[in-house]
Amino acid sequence: MSSRDIATSSRGLGHGGGGGPAQLADVLERVLDKGIVIAGDIRINLLDIELLTVKLRLLIASADKAREMGIDWWEGDPFLSSRGHDGIEGRLRRLEEAAGLPLDDGGKKR
Amino acid sequence: MSAVATETAFYAYGVVASGQRAAVPTRAAGAALEVVEAGPVAAVASVVSLDEFGEEPLRENLNDRDWLERHARAHEDVLLAVAASADVVPFRFGTISRTADDLRALLRDREHALVAALERVRGKIELGVKVWVDEARLRRALAPPAAEAASATGRGYLEARRAAQREAADAETFCADLVREVYERVAAHAAAAVVNRPQPRELTGRAERMILNAALLVESDATAVRDEVDVLAERLRGFGVTLEVTGPWPAHNFVDGADDEA
Repeated sequence: MSSRDIATSSRGLGHGGGGGPAQLADVLERVLDKGIVIAGDIRINLLDIELLTVKLRLLIASADKAREMGIDWWEGDPFLSSRGHDGIEGRLRRLEEAAGLPLDDGGKKR
Repeated sequence: MSAVATETAFYAYGVVASGQRAAVPTRAAGAALEVVEAGPVAAVASVVSLDEFGEEPLRENLNDRDWLERHARAHEDVLLAVAASADVVPFRFGTISRTADDLRALLRDREHALVAALERVRGKIELGVKVWVDEARLRRALAPPAAEAASATGRGYLEARRAAQREAADAETFCADLVREVYERVAAHAAAAVVNRPQPRELTGRAERMILNAALLVESDATAVRDEVDVLAERLRGFGVTLEVTGPWPAHNFVDGADDEA
């Protein structure tokens, strides 16, 4: 990985293209599913989290679940093999089925 | 003497290089911050009560939507406050150690990986890039104008059905190509890029479908990506396609793999 060294005049951190607070879904996706995992003294099993709906739980749980099952399509470039109808959606469906999670993708089923 | 002292623990948000520890603010998002240093890296932490963050209470609190939202946002806000003046490697939510010494031990165990992650994110921030599509508008934009002339005869009905199927297939192909093109074009401006699963409608609350949910690791001055997105958005406006840039975020998506579950 190239370490491009730059002089940062202003980092200007803040959220959202148009200001306003970040979407909760974006925050949870990052804070609960991304970032270095260090098992401290108190372990959190994220699969315990019910959250708002089963769907939200699925979003949060999916990455770890999938990793457990050796499915890691999101880590490569999924688009190289996602042409045609059964691309990402199809793979997600299979992932969800494999994870034993209920299926429903907002009426998108064909 | 009889007052019950609440037991406490250290909740760590992430790490900075020890050399930058002076840049860590003393307070952020309503929390007093402590810096726990171990060699080349230093954790940014808060003292929390085990009444709230102990194993049992935490399990319950994680299921409390408001509690979770408040603390997830605080976690993020602290990291952003630190990131304003130092390079920071974010931890996942809920990295809790009983004592500062326990936390130091964890840092020492992973010193190599943490230093490598700090090097990777140095001078960079994370942006989110999303692509949304209004599927009805996209189909209309792709449909040839003549398709309106379906007659009431059986043959006309079949033709209309076939046309509708073609349009749906065209829309899918269009989206697949579009997502790849957008991803490649924005990723070209990034030091690293990943694609995450698009968020479901139940979560976004939007009528449009999210078809790309990418994260980019970019130089702190992210204008190249924003300019690229503006150009693409302009071109795609007539197709019911919307592009969105979120962030800057702490580099959550680009520190993984530096550590495995211990």
